[in-house]
Amino acid sequence: MEIEDKKDGNVLIVKILNKRLDAQGATDFKEKMSGYISSGSHSIVLNMSEVDFVDSSGLGAMVSVLKLLGDGGNLVICGARGSVMRMFKLTRMNKVFSMFEGQREAVAALSK
Amino acid sequence: MGSKRVKLVIDSDLEQVFLVGMAINKLCSLIPLSDTDSDQIELCVVEAVNNCIEHAYGNEKGQEVEITLTLHPDRLVIDVCDTGKSMEQELVERKDVSALEIDPSELNSIAETGRGLPIIKMIMDSVTYKTESGRNCLTLLKNTSVFGVYKGG
Repeated sequence: MEIEDKKDGNVLIVKILNKRLDAQGATDFKEKMSGYISSGSHSIVLNMSEVDFVDSSGLGAMVSVLKLLGDGGNLVICGARGSVMRMFKLTRMNKVFSMFEGQREAVAALSK
Repeated sequence: MGSKRVKLVIDSDLEQVFLVGMAINKLCSLIPLSDTDSDQIELCVVEAVNNCIEHAYGNEKGQEVEITLTLHPDRLVIDVCDTGKSMEQELVERKDVSALEIDPSELNSIAETGRGLPIIKMIMDSVTYKTESGRNCLTLLKNTSVFGVYKGG
């Protein structure tokens, strides 16, 4: 799982560079995200604009990260499109994660 | 007009599942399905193959998962088969679309696993599971007549 990260104030922006977040990459994704959280990042924007396929294992890993953040943190999504957005809606996960079209609005939402 | 059939076989390795997903998505363009329908059928096949690898074979590589896609004039049938541990029929029936109902305000009650079969059931028109002579097959059926005319020869 290839990801890119950068800080914007107190917000960590994590961009998935792979086309797929699936069972193959879910464990690695979870471990990398856990690493960010244990290093002190608790406000995270996940940029999924490069991703064009997510399966239930990928979604499960994201739920797991959200649980790990607990009440004191937040994980919001930006850039989800096409079949990725449809997967969020199909599984009602668009009600669990705050979803934003652009990265800037996602960062702004966490910076409030 | 007869049916057309293609069989794909991969090793029980999660790293190979995307190959089947992408091939199925492309084959769906023969029907013709919309891009949305093709993506959703790819998702169902990926979920079914993941189940074979993770549950039937317990993530052990070196086993085969066989995917057979049959295009009929009015329906698409996909068999996803393994020779590993069988699923209990009761579990297959119990994992229905209600498993996708969640309470977003209760994060800890939201499961991290177990959505594969409910997703498949939500998207496909029929889902059946059979074990015969040590071979387990999950059969996914999608009626295609509503999508238009089958373009295959």
